Amino acid sequence: MSDGMGDEKISILTERVLSRFKGREIDPKEVSKRLKLLIYEFKVPEEEAVRTVTNYLMKEFDITREEVAESPIRTISEITRAGEWVSVKAKVMQLWDAESPNLSQVGLAGDPTGIIKFVIWAKSRKPEVKEGKSYLFKNVVTDSFRGRMQINVNRNSDIIELDEDISLPPREIELIGALVAIQQNSGFIQRCSLCNRVLKKGVCAVHGKVEGYDDLRIKGVIDDGANYYEVILNQENIKALTGIGIEEAREIASEKLDREFVLAELKKRLLGYYFKIYGSKGSRYFLVRDIEFLSADIVSEANTILSEIDGLVKTAREETAEEGI
Amino acid sequence: MDILRREVAKRVFAYELSRSTHETSEGGERAPKYVLTPTGEKCNRIFMVGVLLEKEEVSPDSNFWRIRVSDPTGVVSGFVGRYQPEALEALLEIEPPEIVSIVAKLNMFQGETRRFLSIRPEAINISDRKNRDFWVIETAKRTLERIKKLEEDADDAKLALEIYNPDVGEYLEMVKRAVEAVREEAEAFRKEEGEVIKEDKEKEAEKIESKVEEIEEVGKIKAEPKTDAEELTLESFEVDDLDEFEFEEEEWDLSDILDEE
Ligand SMILES: [Zn+2]
Repeated sequence: MSDGMGDEKISILTERVLSRFKGREIDPKEVSKRLKLLIYEFKVPEEEAVRTVTNYLMKEFDITREEVAESPIRTISEITRAGEWVSVKAKVMQLWDAESPNLSQVGLAGDPTGIIKFVIWAKSRKPEVKEGKSYLFKNVVTDSFRGRMQINVNRNSDIIELDEDISLPPREIELIGALVAIQQNSGFIQRCSLCNRVLKKGVCAVHGKVEGYDDLRIKGVIDDGANYYEVILNQENIKALTGIGIEEAREIASEKLDREFVLAELKKRLLGYYFKIYGSKGSRYFLVRDIEFLSADIVSEANTILSEIDGLVKTAREETAEEGI
Repeated sequence: MDILRREVAKRVFAYELSRSTHETSEGGERAPKYVLTPTGEKCNRIFMVGVLLEKEEVSPDSNFWRIRVSDPTGVVSGFVGRYQPEALEALLEIEPPEIVSIVAKLNMFQGETRRFLSIRPEAINISDRKNRDFWVIETAKRTLERIKKLEEDADDAKLALEIYNPDVGEYLEMVKRAVEAVREEAEAFRKEEGEVIKEDKEKEAEKIESKVEEIEEVGKIKAEPKTDAEELTLESFEVDDLDEFEFEEEEWDLSDILDEE
């Protein structure tokens, strides 16, 4: 094996070890050095080397095993950032022609929360997946390409066929209704940089007081007079509707010395307005893909209603006439 | 997790609301109360877009406000106080007359001669004509649906017939009035808008023409080099293929939300 190949392998394994110690200051060089020593000098199998270095770091940093469990299982909707090691249970929906010899298989996989592209690298030497079957994609790396997330299956990943049938997201529907409420924890929020949970007064429910990052979101209720739907609008939705993105929110917050002011501003622009929404129904939330202010053709809608009324009035008259006889 | 179902905000015209006198409730004392309207809508909460005609503080510095709101069919009144902080805050900033959207709960009061209904807004926001027009259209549709159901044997309809014995013609007339009002306005607006667009287009055409002349004079029209050999990478195919499947929900909150509330 050439040095170049070796280095690449070591850097992949180093990344894999480090991915379990997110938020800790660990020198990657130190990890690589130990892996190289175990693998090249002592000829320890890769998996064992990874385990040994992981154990060493756990002891060194006094971390429990739970905290550095295998790549966590994530739903597809939770995959939002590139470069994370995750495991995903999903059904292979489609396979595409892999147009590069470096690729073994490429396609779409889905779970109830969404659909994601997967890429199986030829070098990963994995058995082929089949359309319609469900798999656990274990220890795969998230990646982002042209704004879309994907998962990459590499040598350190496993693909395990599942007996269960993973269901897919429901078909997309179109919804028209008024935004009748904006709920708590909406507006210019902060999220935990370790797990993306919304921080409350700088505190994450799982990780305690942590470094947060800014985000914009609205948890709201869309109501059409017959049903209501809970929706979540993300940064892009909000920016598209109001022109207020993260930068604008920061400006507003710093000008008014109050993050809450952003929410007040968003409410003024959105609350009580009608929207057209495209998305799918989740178990609790309506999952919004796209949202826009409703633009209806009032004149033609009105004409349809007026001709219906004419019909109803006519029927009513006829009935009265019959009763009269 | 929120187990209690939220009450849907019903769409009822002011004319019908102001003729509602009957209140029902399912179950015990703490069960939610519903106002039954003459065409058989059972509402605990309403949504309306209308004109805030007046706001008046009930007594000086009480921070308790009486409001009157109209739609094309009539007027309803209501109260906003400190128990509706969001609505109160918004109301203080609004100067009537103004088009507003209102989400409100309903209260029934016993007057001297009869019971009357008043609204208790949870949220008020300044709105616009387009939004108001659509509310009228939507409310008209919902009202027609109810009127048609009066013929059927539905529970709420039966009760409404029993209590109010509504004159169907009267309510059809109400819907007609409201829809005609917004149609007229929308037609007028469309005409105006059309003219503005036409003007803009003409101006734009002139601009382009003069630009072209300018360029031709200098004799420097350069076509943009076109490349057919746009890279048809694997990914560019996939992005297009994906469109049909696009549920890709960018919302990544499920886990964190389930923990909240
Ligand atoms: Zn956290």
